[in-house]
This record gives sequence, structure tokens and C-alpha cells, in this order.
Amino acid sequence: MRLSPETPRPAEPEIETAHAEEFVEQLRCVADSLPSRINIDAQSVEQGLAKLVLTLIEFIRRLLEKQAVRRMEGGDLSPEQIEELGLALMHLEAKLQELKTQFGLADEDLNLDLGPIGRLI
Amino acid sequence: MKLYVYCLVEGMDELPHSLKGIAGAAVRLLSWEKVSLVVSEFAGDAVAVTRENALAHAAVVQGLLERTTPLPFRFGALVTEEQLQNYVSAKREALQVKLEQVRGCVEMSVKIISDRDWTEEPATNIGHEKPGTAFLSEKRREILGGEARAQEAKRVAGWLEGQVREVVREIDFKPNTTSKLIVASGYLVERVRLDEFRQKVAAARQHRPELHFLVSGPWAPYSFANIDLEFKTHFGVS
Repeated sequence: MRLSPETPRPAEPEIETAHAEEFVEQLRCVADSLPSRINIDAQSVEQGLAKLVLTLIEFIRRLLEKQAVRRMEGGDLSPEQIEELGLALMHLEAKLQELKTQFGLADEDLNLDLGPIGRLI
Repeated sequence: MKLYVYCLVEGMDELPHSLKGIAGAAVRLLSWEKVSLVVSEFAGDAVAVTRENALAHAAVVQGLLERTTPLPFRFGALVTEEQLQNYVSAKREALQVKLEQVRGCVEMSVKIISDRDWTEEPATNIGHEKPGTAFLSEKRREILGGEARAQEAKRVAGWLEGQVREVVREIDFKPNTTSKLIVASGYLVERVRLDEFRQKVAAARQHRPELHFLVSGPWAPYSFANIDLEFKTHFGVS
């Protein structure tokens, strides 16, 4: 569409806020969590594969945690079962942390961009 | 030599001479079947994700916004001319629908921070719990806090939508449940209604002083383009 002379043209983009520092800090966090592109070469393919597998494990781990909390709230677990379940999930979290360190991955690396559906975690 | 693709445009016969693309390359217009694409030549198989390249991509798209409404491609779309021509032939109708959807519009962005902490206070007996139970109690607090934040994000986005609905064509709402930034929304606004939109948002801000707003734009309609996925599917480009 060719704009006619009377059609208003947008001005230069403006950014308007009274809390600039706060937004810079928050947007920096968001930017850090964006997935970086992975080059499929011999050096990076191992880390790329680890990232994918650990992301799926992290997703399942979080589901397990939610399910455990629901069961705890539902009152169908004895105190002993809660303790046992809590310890198992605590060890799983520690193990995953260990694997992330081993592959040089940060918490924000463990996610998948599913396009229009959004992000996995 | 490959082509770096910036955006689709309509109604343009020539580009502003001042436009410079990735690595300072000259930007040109390619047109097939009533679809025009803004491209530049690129030597290499991948475009490095650098601040300089990202800004160059954005500058080309933003530079065209003054004259028309470009439909931007995601950063990094690199193809041969033949691939691009095949893509346009295969997707012509879908691309024209997309162009029609954003025609005469710009994108305004509104981000909202809420300082409120939605996490419950820890239970008083937390120090007496066994480690596994304490771990699950802490997870419960985190999960419930996240759910409360998500609900608040939806409420705030819904409230803002109610304030600006009559002056926007479409809304792209992205809730954020993991940080204080609870809302990041894109609004497709007709150029003629830009001032109205700004006034509505300014009025809304007055009603919710506890929320911190960042309003920016006008931008090219990045949130409403969504043509990257089709492009990737077609070429396997990433």
C-alpha cells in the first residue's frame, strides 16, 4: 500500500517509562534466558544434545514436583511418604545441577522455543 | 552469494538510498508475483548473532516503517535467490493475507512490572521439618507463588486490553510468570489511531500507580508477523 500524503506517518520510536533501571534489569534477565543458536559442528553437537536431553529431564522434574505438591496438599500422603518423596526430588535436583555444571549449562539454557505455542518451561 | 532477507513490503518501487544492511551491504528490492522482499547480498553460510548485525537488521526494517508497513522476517534468514522465489510462489497467498493483516498499522509495546511478591511467607515450623519435607514445602511456596503471579498477569493484561481494545486491531499478549515483568504485550495499532492509543495507555497508567509501565513504539509489527516458522519449514533455515 502506498501511503497517501495525508496518511499520518509514525514518529521515531519513543520509549516512555519512569522506571528505566528496573526495566533494564528485568529485560536483561529475559534476554539472558533466550535460547542461543547452536552450530551443529563436532565441538558443539555434544553440548547441544546434552541441552536437549537435560531440558526434557528438567521439564519432567518440574512436573514431578508439581504432582508431589498436589498430593501433599491433597492429604493422601503420610509424613513418611512426604519425607521420602521430598528427599528423592531433592536428590534429583542436585543431580541435574551437577550435570548442568558438567556440560557448562545455566538454568536459563534449559528451555525449548516451541514457536507459536511458546516456551516449554 | 546468498541473500539476507529483512522483510516483505508492498507499494514500493524503490528503497531509500540511505538504507544499509548487514555488514554495510546495499539493500535492494526483489519482486515476484506482487510480493516484494527487501534483501541484501551476504557472503557466508550464517549470519553471526552480534549486536551490530541485530541493529543493522532492525535499522532496515525501521527505516521502511516511515513509508510503509513492513512485515519483518526473524533475524538470520539467509537463502539463495532461487529458494526465495520458490518460497514466494508457494506462500504467496499466505504472505498477502499477512500483509493485509498489518497494512496501515504499527506495533506499540507495553511492558508492566509488578513489585508485589506473590510467594507466601514460610511456615513458622519450617526449621523443625525434616529435609525432604522442608524441600517440598519450599517447592509448594514457589509453585503457588508462580501460579498467583500468572493469574495476576492475566488480570492485568485483561484490564489493559479493556482500556485500549477500541483503538487496537490485534493484541499479542505474552504473560511472564518467572519475574517481576508480568506483562509484555504488543498492540497492532492503525497509524491514524496512534495518538488515541497513547492517550488511553496514559489514562490507564493513572489508575494503577502500583504498576510500573514501559511504553515503546511505533515499531514494525514483529509480534504479528510470525512468518519465520513457515520460512524455516520451507527451507530448514535456522
